[in-house]
This record gives sequence, C-alpha cells and structure tokens, in this order.
Amino acid sequence: MPYEFEEILETIRMTQVEHFDIRTVTLGINLRDCADRDVNVICQKVYDKITRIAKNHVKIAQDIEQRFGIAIANKRIAVTPVSIPFDNLRKDEFIKIAETMDKAAEAVGVDYIGGFGALVQKGFTKGEKELILAIPEALASTKRVCSSVNVASTKAGINIDAINLMSHQIKETARLTAKDGSIGCAKLVVFCNVPEDNPFVAGAFHGVSEAEASINVGISGPGVVLQAIREAGKVDLRQLAEIIKKTAFKITRAGELIGRKVAELLGVEFGIVDISLAPTPAEGDSVADILEAMGLESVGAPGTTAALAMLNDSVKKGGLMASSSVGGLSGAFIPVSEDAGMIRAVQRGHLSIEKLEAMTSVCSVGLDMIAIPGDTPDETIAGIIADECAIGVINDKTTAVRIIPVYGKKVGDMVEYGGLLGSAPVMPVRNLSSKEFVLRGGRIPAPVRSLTN
Amino acid sequence: MNISEQKIREITIEVLKEFGNNISPEKLREEVYKRIETYIEKPAVTQNSMDSGRVIVTSYGINRPGIVSKISTILAEANCDIQDITQKILQEFFTMIMIVDISNSPLSFKELHDKLAKVAEELNIKIMIQHEDVFRSMHRI
Repeated sequence: MPYEFEEILETIRMTQVEHFDIRTVTLGINLRDCADRDVNVICQKVYDKITRIAKNHVKIAQDIEQRFGIAIANKRIAVTPVSIPFDNLRKDEFIKIAETMDKAAEAVGVDYIGGFGALVQKGFTKGEKELILAIPEALASTKRVCSSVNVASTKAGINIDAINLMSHQIKETARLTAKDGSIGCAKLVVFCNVPEDNPFVAGAFHGVSEAEASINVGISGPGVVLQAIREAGKVDLRQLAEIIKKTAFKITRAGELIGRKVAELLGVEFGIVDISLAPTPAEGDSVADILEAMGLESVGAPGTTAALAMLNDSVKKGGLMASSSVGGLSGAFIPVSEDAGMIRAVQRGHLSIEKLEAMTSVCSVGLDMIAIPGDTPDETIAGIIADECAIGVINDKTTAVRIIPVYGKKVGDMVEYGGLLGSAPVMPVRNLSSKEFVLRGGRIPAPVRSLTN
Repeated sequence: MNISEQKIREITIEVLKEFGNNISPEKLREEVYKRIETYIEKPAVTQNSMDSGRVIVTSYGINRPGIVSKISTILAEANCDIQDITQKILQEFFTMIMIVDISNSPLSFKELHDKLAKVAEELNIKIMIQHEDVFRSMHRI
C-alpha cells in the first residue's frame, strides 16, 4: 500500500474528530475597472463583475470539499478597497456600493464580502474620508459586507487623525446595530501594516498589487495541534516545537492542495495559503486550549506570551516548509468571542485587555472580537487602537483591532452572536483618560529601523 | 522518467507470472526494461490534472458479516478497480481502507460518493471516499 494504515487514519481523524477544516476559500476580485462618474453605472458594473467571476465559486468549493473529504467552512469574496476605484463618490453613494456588494454576495451564495475599506496610514483623500463616514450606515444596512481601514504602517507611521475618526465610527456602528448586540463592529477592523492577500474576513480585501482575480486560502486547525500536543505528553519545549511544526506542515499541504484545485477550476490565479490557527467556538477547537495543553493553568497566566510566541513561530515554520505561497496573516488568532477557552478565561478574570495586548505582540493579528462597555469614550478606544498600532509599527508586523463597544452593556454581561462569531463577555477597560494625548491629532512619525532595543 | 515504483513492481510481477519464477535475473531485467519503455510511450491516462484516478475508501464501524462484500460489489458494479485493501479488527470494531482506481468508471465521483453513502446507512457504518491527492500531499514530501 502506498500509504501507511496509520497515515490514512490520521487524516481521517483530523477531519472527522479534530475539526480540521479549511476555514475559508476567498475569491479576490479586482474592481478597478468598474469606475464611472455615475454611481448607478458603478453599481451595475460592480454587481455584474462580482456575480460573473464568483458565479461558480461556492459550487466549485463544495465539489472540492466532497472530493477530498475536507470541509471548507466558508466561501467568501474580497474586492479592491472600494475607496480606491471610486474616489469620486460621496458618503451616500458609498452606502449604495455597500448595498450592491451585499446583493451580489447574496446572489452568489457567500456569507461575507470584504473590501469596503480604505488605506489611510498617511492621510485621507476626499473619497477615503467619505467612505469612512459611510461605514456605520453601510454596515448597519447590510448583512454581508465587511469593512477594514488601515491607519498605520512601519513606513508611514501612525495616523492618529484616522484613529480618532475610526474610534468614533466604531462607536457609531455599535449604536446603529445596537439591537443585534452591536454586531456591526464584528464586521469592522482597524489595521496596521495590513496584508493585501489576507483571506480572513472581516479584514479581507483584494490588494492593489494583486491579479485580476485570485484565490486565497485560510487554513484552520487548533484542534489538530491540540491533539498532537496532548499525545506528545511530557516532552521538552524543543520537541514540542517539532511536533507543532510537523502538524502545521500537514494541514498547510492540504490547504494548498485545495486552494490550487479551486483556483484551477475557477480559472483564476492561486494566491496564497494563510497558515493561521483560527479557532471556532466549538469545544476543542481553541487556541487557548493549546496554550493550556502546553502547560499553563489558564490562558492569561505568566508564560502565556512565551507559549503563544513559540506556538506561532512553530506554525509558521512548519507551514513555510509545506507551501511556497505563504501569505496573509499567518499565525495564531486569539479572538475572544470565537474561542471557548478564551471566553472561559475572561469570565474567570484570568485574562485582561492588557494581557491580550501583550499577546498580540507575538501572535498574528491583534485585539480581536473583544466586547467592551458601550459607554467607553471614543478617546479610550482611540488609545487602545494607537497602542496596538504602535506594536505593529515598531515590530514590523500586522496588528489590528476589532473591538465591540456593545451599546447599553456593562462589564460582565454576555453578548450572543451565534455561529462562528460566538459569544462575547463584556471586558473591563481601564478608566483612565487618553483624551489629551489622542486629541493632539497628527501623525506619529515612522520609526527608526535600527538600534532596535 | 515518469513512472512510479508501484508501476515498476506491477510490471515485474507481470513478467514473473509470464516467465515463471525460474527466469534468470538478466532476462528479468531486460524484459522489465523493455516493458517500461513501451509503458511510458503510451499517453498517460489523465482526464485533467485533477485526477490521478485513484481514491481512498475508508470505512469503519461495528463489525458484521457482509461489509466487505457489499462495498466491493458497489465498486465492481461501477467498474472500479480495487488495487489494495487493508483491514483491521479490534474487538467488535473494524476499519477497512481500500485504494480504488475509478478512472474507468462510468460513474462520476459524486455518484459513487452517494452510492457508498447509501450503503453506509444500510450497514450503519461510516464510509468515506476521498481523492488520493489529499493523502499524498499531507504525508509525502
């Protein structure tokens, strides 16, 4: 037999028991050829283009899913940040574009479409400002549209004006979607050093340097890594790193295979595999559980950052060996609401925003799906975002903030989102003012890249 | 030269069958080489890059009489070639893995999948059918 009995059973066990799935197959679509001076013409062009290219996206992904026996949890679409081709539009017109994207996504059967965003790390164009002003209403009036705005980069520094504006828009989005637990904020990410090929919603968009259309794949497999670590038993950390690497290798190879096949059948370019450990609320599919299996009493204990750093690095090393097209965010995600172990740690008071912030300096993204009290001041949110951007800018990595100031909720309340978004315990935020700092406005200059102490 | 070890092994066995076990090593080598030449001259049978044509059928569940027979009947009726089969039984549980060439089958992957799903339901076991590529990419560099 060309394969060992155990090898075949290992794959079966990964997919059947340990929740190994392809988290997302995201079809990126360029919209730069849809520009026009009339918004109705733009909407028609956008709708036609998305539905033409993505017509068979879901069907093909399902076909591949069956063929290889590996579930593809989400089939999604990302488009060019809409502020780029349509810079001539006004706020109301941008809302129309969002509604068109929503309709197109519905027509082709995808649950989320990313790209209602802008890149403003250095400054705003007129269109970009209009787009940002449109975000709260656009997210409130659509179901599938996701928005991301990049406000800082290692090359440009941190645009505090953009952060202030975004903090206000986050609060506004929370208010407009108050009846659904401020769910609009779950579809809005503020980025630093945003990658152009990230397949994971809500931050997904089709970068300006990308091809006409491309397929990017996000893998997921905390359950598989967890099982491997549990099986390893008492080994030292170097051996543990080796085990994580081997596991990451296998799941990345499967991800690459599936991405290539979908791209081939759709007739578009294959972009990248994002080797991330993306948790789900399902029991056993948790990054927090991995950290605990590594030996911590609870996520949040001293040593959490070190354990996460090792996990993240090992996943990358294994993944890089497995695929020559690694990109996107690539690392371990630590969203609170989407990870049963994280929720548990927050509820027991083991995990604070400050510890999460420290963890984001070594993991793939940032403060993700964190619910905070609805009356948190704009300036405090701006301070949180600025801190996160500083970590990204100085360490030359992607960081992001997806924070939900849940309208009308207080510390200790639970907010249910259902599905992959899970449920979020409202976390306390320090009651100290950042107001005078952030309201100075302007831009924190780009950092020096030597003398890195 | 693009020929798998598996294929070379098959060719060698074929030669041994034809000439008997008393064939001299030189003659065997010569005969095998000759057939390898003619083998690779044939156009490779691939419909598209998707198909090596082989799938792996894994079934497991509570053991009972007739499981192998039921599954292999379905495969035979669909003109599928079972190339390898391994089975393990642990107390009342069984696990069976088959490597099956479906390239000559008139049924599509989906039709075969659905047929096996029906059998799985009848026998109250799990049957999975997966394309070989996924195992190759995960377990072979």
